[in-house]
This record gives sequence, structure tokens and C-alpha cells, in this order.
Amino acid sequence: MESSREVIISGLTKNFGDIIAVNEMSLDVPEGSIFGLLGPNGAGKSTTIRLLCTLLKPVRGTATVAGFDIIESPVKVREVTGVLPEEGNHTLYPTMSAYENLEYFARLYDVPLEEIPGRIEELLSFMDLWERKDDKAGELSTGNRQRLALCRAILHEPSVLLLDEPTAALDPIAAKRVRELILSLSEKYNQTFFINSHNLAEVQRICDAIAIIDNGKIILHGKTNELREKLQAKEQYRLRIASNLGDAEQILRSAEFVEEVTVEADTLLATIRDPYDNNPTLLSQLLDAGVRVVEFAEEEMSLEDLYLEVILGGDR
Amino acid sequence: MMVLTKSMIVARADLRMALKVKFVKYGILALPALGPIMGIAMIGVPIFLDPSSFDLIMGYLLPTLSAMLAVFTIIPAAMISANSFVGEREQNTLEPILCTPLTDTELLLGKTLSAFLPSMAILAGVTVITSLGSNVLIVLAGRAPVLIPDLPGLFLICVVSPVMILATVSVMIIVSGRVSRVYEAYQMVGGIVLIMFIPMFGSFAGIGTGVPDLNAQWFANFVTLLIALALMGVTWVLAWTRFNRDRLVSLV
Repeated sequence: MESSREVIISGLTKNFGDIIAVNEMSLDVPEGSIFGLLGPNGAGKSTTIRLLCTLLKPVRGTATVAGFDIIESPVKVREVTGVLPEEGNHTLYPTMSAYENLEYFARLYDVPLEEIPGRIEELLSFMDLWERKDDKAGELSTGNRQRLALCRAILHEPSVLLLDEPTAALDPIAAKRVRELILSLSEKYNQTFFINSHNLAEVQRICDAIAIIDNGKIILHGKTNELREKLQAKEQYRLRIASNLGDAEQILRSAEFVEEVTVEADTLLATIRDPYDNNPTLLSQLLDAGVRVVEFAEEEMSLEDLYLEVILGGDR
Repeated sequence: MMVLTKSMIVARADLRMALKVKFVKYGILALPALGPIMGIAMIGVPIFLDPSSFDLIMGYLLPTLSAMLAVFTIIPAAMISANSFVGEREQNTLEPILCTPLTDTELLLGKTLSAFLPSMAILAGVTVITSLGSNVLIVLAGRAPVLIPDLPGLFLICVVSPVMILATVSVMIIVSGRVSRVYEAYQMVGGIVLIMFIPMFGSFAGIGTGVPDLNAQWFANFVTLLIALALMGVTWVLAWTRFNRDRLVSLV
């Protein structure tokens, strides 16, 4: 595929009656990147994917997927995208076998006839489903169905993959395998991934960039490492105390460079200004007071913290 | 050619899926079988029990026989197309299909063919079986073979019935965007078979002559054809212009 593999969304808007599902969304997902779209239920994540794969038509704005406009060239867009719909494990033909499900879609996606058996075997083997190839899809477990639906999405080697909750309903091992698959496809074929997920740890682990959407609007967008740096700038520290927790808390509260102190079991969480200057001072004060400090570490906010802060405005 | 290739892939898959649904499978097998059974029985009983009334009974029977055979194949067409359009959505497989590079034309044609081709094959099959079965009995009874169905009947089967089947499918396309369950779609579309009552009973308009009038039979057939053509034309235009991925997906 010679075309670009990026996804460019500009002013995309979709409403269902009075409800605006996607509101003036603009995003650039570079070629070969893994992009994660986060947001609460009903935020507009699935609608965004449905717009990008031309299932829905926007009321305003547009997007180009791998160089093709979703309004002007919907068939081309569908040729170059692989889609795992929401609850993908329920979207297989239940009375067709695993093999037949993939064979049917391979033919619809114009995979050359002579390549179909090999490609299906490769994918089913990779997903540990080859032994179940003759089982009806409806008789497979939820996790196996999800993996089969993923096979269907990548069967025709699309430039852009639109995955709606790809690891939902998967056990941790299967979820890890899917994450590895995403990373290897991205590296090997330079495919672009647009992933909707609730699994923040997963997004943090594999996505190059993320956006948080709420009420159809993008409220935060950036590269994952940049966001992590922003998070680290919070200067929050975790002190695990083995004895004299009360004394330690008092010292922290009386220090003028400590802005906020919370106690969680044997741990104090403190926001410390100018940590390079003040942390050594604080530590020596604690040690002088006979406080046994087991751990004094920077509290790295997770994506979940950021997500909650953005969605709930810090009201956790 | 490419359009037809893709459409045939869809049609084959849809038919296979439909045949795995019990009520469709038994409907396709049992309903059409009723046509030849009833037809052969209705001809066979008088030819042996009351040979003198044979000509009179054939006069009444032949006009209704073709319409009866057609009705028993339009119902399976409605069943297959209900499963194809609404069943796909009911079992959540519509969205992945709509995500493939299939054009609307390929998709609609494929789903139409999945109902049209087997229905036509069934119609041809039951017509041949009825004709052969009846004529075997007629010959065994020492009479000369009879053209069954008669000429107006063949017209009904070869011309009117295909139009009726296409009209059934196009009505289903329109209905599919408004209902969410197969049985709702089937109930809404199943009523189309009532149109076939026109040729079934219309020829009896000339009953005053003692037997159904051939002219009345042709007239009823042409009226049916016109109604079927109008229904097909209007519903295809509506189906084509209103087939809407957006609406179908919104119903998922």
C-alpha cells in the first residue's frame, strides 16, 4: 500500500437527534503510531470509530484514513481499514466455524484466493486458535471469540486498524498476547492503530499518544510520554514509615515547602515544592526525629489519575 | 462482473446462514413440498375415484394450481430475506459486513440473490415435480398427458412469480430499517402473498359459464403482474434511495 497510513480528523461532528455524540473533533494520528482514545461510557468513542470506518456519516467535518476521505471515498476507506467493533466477540457468525468466518471475510476483503488458507492458518495459529478452527464460532469461549474477531480485523493486512476495546473480555494472558500482536504489527508493517479502551494501564503500556474524550469533545490530547512528564511535574512523593507515623505527619505538615499531606495506612503522600532542594532537608528532619523511613519515592501519577482528574476535574 | 462475484459470495453465505435457522430451514423444505403434494393429490383423487368429473375438476384446478405453487415459494423468499436483512442485525453481524469494502449495490444484490435464486429454484422444482407427478397419474389412468400448469399458469410462474419475489425482497429492505426482530419483519412482509390470491380466485369471475373462463384467468394474471411490477418498482426505488447504512447501524 503506497498511500499514507495516517488518520486526520478535522471538525468531525455527529449527532443522534439532540444528542451530540462527537463534537467538532480534530485529531492527527501519525502513520505507524498506536493511538488510544479514552473516555467514559457514552463519551463518543465508539461513534468516532464508526465514523472513521464509514458506518456513520458525520453531520459536519470529515476525516481522512490512510489518505482517503471518509465522505468522498468510503469504499476505499473500508478497503484499507480493519475494524474490531464494540463487543467484537458477539459480531461473528455463530453457526459458521472459526475458519469459515475468516474465509468469508477474506473473500469480501479481496484477499487473493491462493493466499487465504495460509493467512488464516498463520493468524489462527498465532492466536492459539488453530486447533479450534472447525468449531462453530458460537461455541467458542468469549475470549476465543474476541481473538477470532481480531483475526478477522487484521486478515486483509489493513493500513489502519480501528479497534474498539480490543482486550475487553480477554483473560490477562490473552490480553497480553493481543498487546504484543498490536506492537509487533505496528513495528513490522508500520500499521496505524486507533484504539478505544477503558483499560488505562494497557493504553499507557502500548500507545504512543492518547486523547481523552468526554461528551463528544476531546479534552486532552498528547503523546503518552509528554503526558507522563506532565504527571511527574505534580511533585508528589510517597513516604512509607515503619514507626512514628504521627511524628512524621506532624513534621510534614509543619514544613512550609510541603503543600498537601494525606495518610494512607503506613504511607504519607505529600506534595513537595522544589523537591531537589527540600527533599534532603525533609529526610534529615525525619531521621533526626527518630522516624524510620522505609521508602521515600516520587509518586508517579498513572494515566488513571490523569484520566480521573480530567474527567472529574480532580474530584476523586 | 466484480459486483456479481462479491454479491454471490454474500448470497451464498446468507443462504447458508438462513438454512441454519430452524424455522427458515423447515419453512423452505416443508412449504414448497405442500404445493406438489396438494397439486398431485387434487388431480389424482378425482382421476381414480370419479373419472367422469375429471375434466370439470381440472378446469377449476389448473387456474389455482400455479398460484398455489407460487405462494408456497414466495413465503420462503420472505423468510430468507427477513433472516438476511434483519437477522444479520439481530445477531450483530451486520456491522462487520458494513465495514467491508462491499458497495451498497453489491450488498443489496447479494442479499436479494440469497432469497431470489433459491426461491426460483424451488419454484422450478415444485413445478416440474407437480407436472411430472400429475401426468404419471393421468397416464396411469389411461388419459393423454396434460400441460400442467397450463399456459396462463406457466406465465404466472415464469413471469409474475419472479417479479413478486423481487418485490418481496425490496419490501424487506425497506422494512429492515424499521424493525429489529426477524419475526417482526417476516410478519410485515408475509402479507404480500395475499396478492397471489388475485390469480388464484380471479379466474372464477367467469364462473357463470360452468368452468373458470380462460380470458378471466389471463386478465387476473395480468392484473397481478401489474400490481407486482408496481410494487416492485416503487419499493425498489424506495429501497435503493433509502438504504441507509447510517440508519441500519444506529439500530444496532
